[in-house]
Amino acid sequence: MNAVEMRGITKRFGSFEALSQVNFTVEEGEIHSLLGENGAGKSTLMNVLYGILKPEEGEIRIHGKAVQIKKPSQAISLGIGMVHQHFMLTPVMTVTENVIVGSEPRKGPFVDYGAANRSVQEMIDRYGFGLRADTRVQNLSVGEQQRVEILKALYKGASVLILDEPTAVLTPQEVEELFVILRELKASGKSIIIITHKLKETAAVADRVSVLRSGKMIDTGLEAKGCSINDLALMMVGRRVDLTFTRRAEEAGEVAYDIRHLNLTKKNIPVLKDINLELRRGQILGIAGIEGNGQTELIEVLTGLCQPDSMELYKDGALLSGAPADFLRAGVGHIPEDRLSRGLVVPMTIEENIILGYHRTDAFSRKGIQKTEAIHSFAVGKQTEYLIKAESVQSPCSSLSGGNQQKVIIARVFSENPDVLIVAQPTRGVDVGAQEFIHNKLLDLRDEGKAILLISADLDEVRRLSDRIAVIYDGRIVSQTDHDVLDEMELGLLMTGGKEGEEKAL
Amino acid sequence: MKIKEKLTVGRAGLDSLFRSAVALLLSLLVSAVIMAACGYNPIQAYGAIFTGSFGSLRGITQTLTQATPLIFTGLAFTFAKKASLINLGVEGQMYMGALGAVLIALPAMGLPGPVHLMLAILGGMAFGGAYAAIIGFLKVKFGSNEVVAGFMLNSIATYIVGYLLNGPLLAEGSNIAQTARVAESAWMPRIFSKYQVTYAVFLAVAACIFVAWFMKKTVTGYEIRCVGMNKDASETAGIRVGRSLVIAMCVSGAIAGLAGVNQVLGVDRRLINEFSPGYGFNGIAVSALAAENPVGTILAGVIFGVLRAGVMELNRTTNIPIEFVDVIQAMVVVFVSAPLLIRNLGGHLSRLKPARGAKGGAVQ
Amino acid sequence: MSVVFTYLIPILSSTIYMATPLIFAAVGGAFSVRGGVMALGLESMLMSGAFCGVVGSYYSNSAFVGLICAILGGMLIALFHGILCIRYRVNQVISGVGLNLLATAVTTLLMQVIWGNKGTSEMVASIDTQLGGPIPIVNVQSVNFIVMILMVAVGWVVLFKTCYGLRLRMVGENPKAANAKGLRVHGLKYSGVLICGALAGYGGAFLSLDQLNMFVRGMTAGRGYIAVAIAILGRYNPVYIVPCALLFGFCDAVQIYLQGQGIPPQLIQMLPYVATLFVLAFGVRHIKPPEGVGKHETD
Repeated sequence: MNAVEMRGITKRFGSFEALSQVNFTVEEGEIHSLLGENGAGKSTLMNVLYGILKPEEGEIRIHGKAVQIKKPSQAISLGIGMVHQHFMLTPVMTVTENVIVGSEPRKGPFVDYGAANRSVQEMIDRYGFGLRADTRVQNLSVGEQQRVEILKALYKGASVLILDEPTAVLTPQEVEELFVILRELKASGKSIIIITHKLKETAAVADRVSVLRSGKMIDTGLEAKGCSINDLALMMVGRRVDLTFTRRAEEAGEVAYDIRHLNLTKKNIPVLKDINLELRRGQILGIAGIEGNGQTELIEVLTGLCQPDSMELYKDGALLSGAPADFLRAGVGHIPEDRLSRGLVVPMTIEENIILGYHRTDAFSRKGIQKTEAIHSFAVGKQTEYLIKAESVQSPCSSLSGGNQQKVIIARVFSENPDVLIVAQPTRGVDVGAQEFIHNKLLDLRDEGKAILLISADLDEVRRLSDRIAVIYDGRIVSQTDHDVLDEMELGLLMTGGKEGEEKAL
Repeated sequence: MKIKEKLTVGRAGLDSLFRSAVALLLSLLVSAVIMAACGYNPIQAYGAIFTGSFGSLRGITQTLTQATPLIFTGLAFTFAKKASLINLGVEGQMYMGALGAVLIALPAMGLPGPVHLMLAILGGMAFGGAYAAIIGFLKVKFGSNEVVAGFMLNSIATYIVGYLLNGPLLAEGSNIAQTARVAESAWMPRIFSKYQVTYAVFLAVAACIFVAWFMKKTVTGYEIRCVGMNKDASETAGIRVGRSLVIAMCVSGAIAGLAGVNQVLGVDRRLINEFSPGYGFNGIAVSALAAENPVGTILAGVIFGVLRAGVMELNRTTNIPIEFVDVIQAMVVVFVSAPLLIRNLGGHLSRLKPARGAKGGAVQ
Repeated sequence: MSVVFTYLIPILSSTIYMATPLIFAAVGGAFSVRGGVMALGLESMLMSGAFCGVVGSYYSNSAFVGLICAILGGMLIALFHGILCIRYRVNQVISGVGLNLLATAVTTLLMQVIWGNKGTSEMVASIDTQLGGPIPIVNVQSVNFIVMILMVAVGWVVLFKTCYGLRLRMVGENPKAANAKGLRVHGLKYSGVLICGALAGYGGAFLSLDQLNMFVRGMTAGRGYIAVAIAILGRYNPVYIVPCALLFGFCDAVQIYLQGQGIPPQLIQMLPYVATLFVLAFGVRHIKPPEGVGKHETD
């Protein structure tokens, strides 16, 4: 029997049709991969199934029974569990509290914490999750937090488990561990839906595949065994794209950015430990690592946002220190890792955002007064050059898609012709078209002789663009090699700070 | 393309204008219901308010007299709000502004009139600005909640002024807490000799236009707006966030100080204890009604000036409490801040519309 | 010894007395904030409580009925605050400030309608009980002292030991997660705000019916704002709130005792406000409110 059957689902946001007449079925006891690009409608479809969004049309059957799912609590009681891409956890609370809330073991009106801890620990042990029920979630690694999310769903008695981009933030090793867990769950009769755009993983773990593209189901229920990665890519993107295309640097130039003995302590915990890096002109240095190993702090220090305990930083041989404004003036461009919080003032217009950080330069202001005309024509020019899709340069950035927002930032930074670029997560949440565009721009700048530091959680991206790769683990650079020295598994091993299976120190 | 851009901007402006208008009407309506419930005839009352504030030159000058401090305090609140700061301390800054002005205006310095006046105005602005800077400083340096800090500083300011007016600054022979008359050279000239309205009303209008220009065209204004909407992005862009916040607070306080300056140099010509019927808090309503648009503040200030002047007139003839104006103002703050509520109401109204349209057709 | 009897004991008694309404309001604030709604409207809830208490007592001639009215009055404002912040997603600061303005205006207006006087109400039946007994300091407290102690204890247990408390805190920390868990986010938020209103209303009644026997214009005198500071300083935990509130109560008590000692009264009256300012500056720097304050489940 089918665990989930969705028929003719249509969902509109205003005039935009996010899903049109989508059919989707999942059998009991299978791992089903829902493939699609960013913005194809995967998450929308799953949010419909989970009762977060209401479809305009269509029907849903769970284990053969027609149902109306109006809110998550209903989905939960139907045995549907969701593991969101952005974890829905409360860091200050314990694993147990996160898991039990909503259906707590009680003693009268009180929470029976003893019983709760026991039953959660028992579940953890049964599925081999390797956690302690009474740890606070803020002390867990990303992979462990994901297991807490899965626990939450299982605790509620989920028989259908939806995982939204579960591997996006995991190392190759953690991905392997996750797959072991998923196969275990499958064996115990659960149905699992994996929302992803990663083809390799689909091939590795899924029994069947469905492909969504711009809100339409291209094909559903394909046997994963019979599909080639290229076929799936074609279905997903709708045209031939070479996701492995790259070009390497001719020859590295002078050292443009020399970082020596960088140490940083936060709340008495050392987060960056004696970091030494050299950025050379005409070279991309990629930093691989699991999120939370000091990348954010590294970016902040290298752009002046955070003062380290100690560091000698030379730009083209001259000592550099001070506030972000000093770094910008010295020609250090910064593409922040979170465009919404650090990159853009979202309610402001494209015009206003495209000068942000450079608004005091002579090009845009004179004696404290802004040059309105100059700013306008600059923005219009960049809109055409960078193919920013927007009604006009006076549209607020909030009205743009993720890819176009990222292009605004990139246009801004690249136009100032910086010598050194600190680029963080340049293509996160960006569609394939914009991703290609941004990658090519980066490679162009590299070829023009810029020194680029690329920090990305996407190991594929790091390997594709970088000429040299450094691995950061626990605030330390644990390896620094040319791009072709280490393979994916070796890098993954370094990213977790040791050999496979070895316990990680907290 | 240009025209289209202008149009979209105009659209947003119209939206907020609509929202403010609906909020004002709603507040007037609810107040009318309250008035009726309290046994007053609302139609009569509003009629009397209107004639009281517009019916005569005296009424109009009274309206402008009332509007002047409201424009200042509304503008002060708006300015801080652009940096997403809630300056609840406007009232206290106004008192400090009044104090600063009176300290300079009291002694007859033998200066020519305009110079003494200018000095007194600047003194008031400096006092208000410095007092507001405390809030900005506490916020930036210690992360203090500016709303609570603002309210505390209001109380402290009234106590300081109260102490001075009962002690060192008390006018000789006066039996109420007030200073002596300020030197004539520091008087804010009145437009009509018979009425209280002074040229400060033009100063208020000029201040609004200046702030609008400042926010839109200057680098500092741009930075303040950036900080107001996204501190992290501003920091990343090399903007000194703390400095912008303190500047915004300081300018806000200086504008608030002008409200006190006007009271001391123009209206009362002396500093009287507890002279304000809450102008500082009324500024929040003015700013809300103006949808935080500096130029809109002029209109919003005049609207509340009308109400206040009208009710004061009304109060002379009937026993209707002046506090109705405060109720209306407080409701404006609440309604304007709830665009979803207004939109919901708008939805209900537009569903009613076709029915009404049909009726209208039948009559024709 | 005589110093103890003439100064210390009266001041300490008065400290507790002055701190009691602050404790009620601040614990209320803790419930509101723990549920993710800022409590800047505390001033209006206190004022509404104080006013409704007097009105209730005036018409019924019973302080107890007044107390019930005070609680309902606080909850009424809380309900407005809840509707604005939760349903209509108004900026919580603006909503709080707007309601504070509204409460001041409406109470003054109604005083004129009911009593024809905009300064004070008529005198009404008040809660005029002293505990008595052998323990100094406590023996002069009113029966509300016991209520306050119970309220703090129950408040702590409810917040940190019950299922309801766990759910409320989850909503306050992360409304999105709570929603995904199937919790009734809106219901829980409303409950937090309404508890806040009830407690602040009670605190208001303490001001008008216990400390006094009438309503005076502006009698809350910023205590709602001070309570906000206390709630922050007490880390939104009822038990920690008590000592913080006592600190402010002490300032108030000292202020009262210093009056008439030759120092200008205005300078002494400033004391509690200056103390609050100092606490805001130096006491609360690293205290973070729950993550989800001001956020909605569908952001």
